[in-house]
Amino acid sequence: MSAEGGSSRRIERDKTRFDDIVRGHIKHDLKRYITGGEMIGRKGRQLVSIPVPRIELPRLRFGRNGRGRGAGQGEGGGDGSAGEGAGSGAAGSQAGQHILEVELSLEEMAAILGEELELPNIQPRGRSRMTSPSRRFTSLRHTGPRSLRHMRRTWKQALRRQISEGSFDPARPRIVPNSDDVRYRSWKETTRPDHAAMILYMMDVSGSMGREQKEIVRLVSFWIDTWLRSQYQSLETRYVVHDAVAKEVDQETFYRLRESGGTKISSAYALAADLVGQHFPAAEWNIYLFHFSDGDNWSGRDTEKCLSLLKEKLLPDANLFCYGQVKSAYGSGQFKKDLDQALATDTRVISAEILDREGILPAIKAFLGKGL
Amino acid sequence: MARPDASLLALQHAVEAQAREEGLDVPEVVYELVDHRELNEIAAYGGFPVRYPHWRFGMEYDRLLKGHSYGLQRIYELVVNTQPVVAYLLRQNSPLEQKLVMAHVCGHADFFRHNAWFAHTDLNMLDVMAGHAARVRSLADQRGMELVEGFIDVVQSIDNLIDVSALARARGRPGNAPPLDRAPPDGDVLGHLLLRAPLAEWQQEILGLLRDEAYYFAPQMLTKIMNEGWASFWHSRLMTGSLLRDAEVVDYACQHAGAMGGDDGPMNPYKLGLELYRHLLAAGPAGSAGAFGRGRGLDRLFEARAVHNDLTFVDSVLDEDFCRSRGLGQDAAECAAVRESLLASLTNGGQPVVRVVDSSGDLELEHIWSGSELQLDQAEETLRNLHALWRRPVRLRTRLENRAVLLTGTGDGVVREYGEVLPGRP
Repeated sequence: MSAEGGSSRRIERDKTRFDDIVRGHIKHDLKRYITGGEMIGRKGRQLVSIPVPRIELPRLRFGRNGRGRGAGQGEGGGDGSAGEGAGSGAAGSQAGQHILEVELSLEEMAAILGEELELPNIQPRGRSRMTSPSRRFTSLRHTGPRSLRHMRRTWKQALRRQISEGSFDPARPRIVPNSDDVRYRSWKETTRPDHAAMILYMMDVSGSMGREQKEIVRLVSFWIDTWLRSQYQSLETRYVVHDAVAKEVDQETFYRLRESGGTKISSAYALAADLVGQHFPAAEWNIYLFHFSDGDNWSGRDTEKCLSLLKEKLLPDANLFCYGQVKSAYGSGQFKKDLDQALATDTRVISAEILDREGILPAIKAFLGKGL
Repeated sequence: MARPDASLLALQHAVEAQAREEGLDVPEVVYELVDHRELNEIAAYGGFPVRYPHWRFGMEYDRLLKGHSYGLQRIYELVVNTQPVVAYLLRQNSPLEQKLVMAHVCGHADFFRHNAWFAHTDLNMLDVMAGHAARVRSLADQRGMELVEGFIDVVQSIDNLIDVSALARARGRPGNAPPLDRAPPDGDVLGHLLLRAPLAEWQQEILGLLRDEAYYFAPQMLTKIMNEGWASFWHSRLMTGSLLRDAEVVDYACQHAGAMGGDDGPMNPYKLGLELYRHLLAAGPAGSAGAFGRGRGLDRLFEARAVHNDLTFVDSVLDEDFCRSRGLGQDAAECAAVRESLLASLTNGGQPVVRVVDSSGDLELEHIWSGSELQLDQAEETLRNLHALWRRPVRLRTRLENRAVLLTGTGDGVVREYGEVLPGRP
């Protein structure tokens, strides 16, 4: 559904009408898609099925009927948001229609998310010297998976061999490829200049961060990721968890791990500074730092340490530092206050409080709303 | 869009000369070169460059573009039954592909001119469609797009309720839809609505245009297997007979195999049609001699393509011998089952037969039972749409398993009533 080309051809107008119907519906339920979690784990061009009512036209057609069903067709339901208005008044004047699954890629979802939250497009910092590989299937190999067999080249190869062997009979043109004849499609790599971004997610996994808190972090991170991926062609993500000590983990562990014990936020920031310093020079990378915690730090002194790490090490190189404070039963929420107080003037620092799932969309908007 | 260059025109000339040599009647064909976006646009519009504005064309376009970009499907060509025949070629097709497509188009063009079911279709359809589009657009400007589009939604949901058998009785009379100077046939629900439903003038006009288009497209729906099979039979015959250069043989074989394969397996209409013609050419079904008319060899094929539609073609050509040799079934029972299910899916173009019992007051409709149920939830929604046009109760008699069912659509919704147990197999 991306608006490729600025064509004013008729079909583009019809497609816009269709897009409006689909987008209108998705926007209407956007919160449910964002906070429901069923999209998690999907990537870029993978398709997401969105059920859109009112699109498939009903017809008198043959079909199976589930047995023992009542007459009425319920209107969707199940999204928990009761109290919707009764709909248009004039009975019978509207086309009765059915639910159709429309397939969208996650990129398209990101575009809709961006539209709805009015997220500005990001202007990548500086001129990048980075290049990113791109693959095109323009070459052939002798080995490969069956699914990539190149039939025409295989048969031509077999024909060539049989002619040279003298086993080809034009009167009975039977060609049987052997395993040496088989050719497979393969790719060539080319590179092109590109803006690159890295995202570092840090999460407090101390005892006070419960299951629901982690789920919220997961959802926020996933949509941030999706949005930034729609903005940058190459994106690296790194994950750090911390309680009193910090360590780098993979994505899986990031969301699953449940530690216990105290919280020293400075440990995460120190590790972050090391990681970025070593692997992601600011001249080449756009650097995004996200930290999620329930705001309960070990001591005021550690918070001091955090602030100085931020000011001296992290912020100078970063596009953005976002702090999301997820409310937990135990957290005091003091860290956000301290952070806001100390760094209120720095536009690259954004903090948001996320009380529950309702807070997910506002937090995403707060974090990404500046287009940094 | 562009006209072909000199080399393509020379190719067209060579292909058509060969086709005529072998007996095809190829009328004037005009080729247009298009890129894949243009081709997908035209395909979304059912083969036409211009249609009335409606979001469903946009949806279809979106689907085609996605299918193309994911490499799931590729359209090589489109042919429109007009005078002259217009065919669209994908610009980036290789010269071999263009040759193959042109040979294929010769088959379609011959079929359009000679198959009885196309005898009455309006051959100025490019202009007619453009005229419809202009009318709907101007009505949308006057009345508002939402209103007009919503009404078209309703009409599209019932535009399969036409009487395709009227096409057979339409010999020699130009125009797509049966004229309404007499009472429309029972199966022409759209015709009855047009005459009797309390519609505003603009609604009546749109309903009339869409009814005409529905009748225009009906013959293509009825002859999909025959038409694609005929074109495939001829591209194969022309290409392997004389048009192919040696260096092109493997590429051709690959293209041909691609078009004949696919998820539908032997039920791919290109493949099934091609095999049926070949079967007819090779032998003719045992025990039904005479069913194929007087001719021998190719003559029999030319006659079949003139008189049959998919249903009658399959009925007379697909026999046990065909089933066995094409791996559709191993014994008589299996073959009979294949035949039966294929024939059922082709009856009335795969659409349920619905006829008007009474349109003098409430609208009374009857679904003629042929062994398959209507999808009832959709039928109920459709009844709602019918009621929106008729504005008096609309009733549809059908059956579910072995019981009669009466659906009644009123302003308050649709009521389903179960009636007596009916004889016959559920």
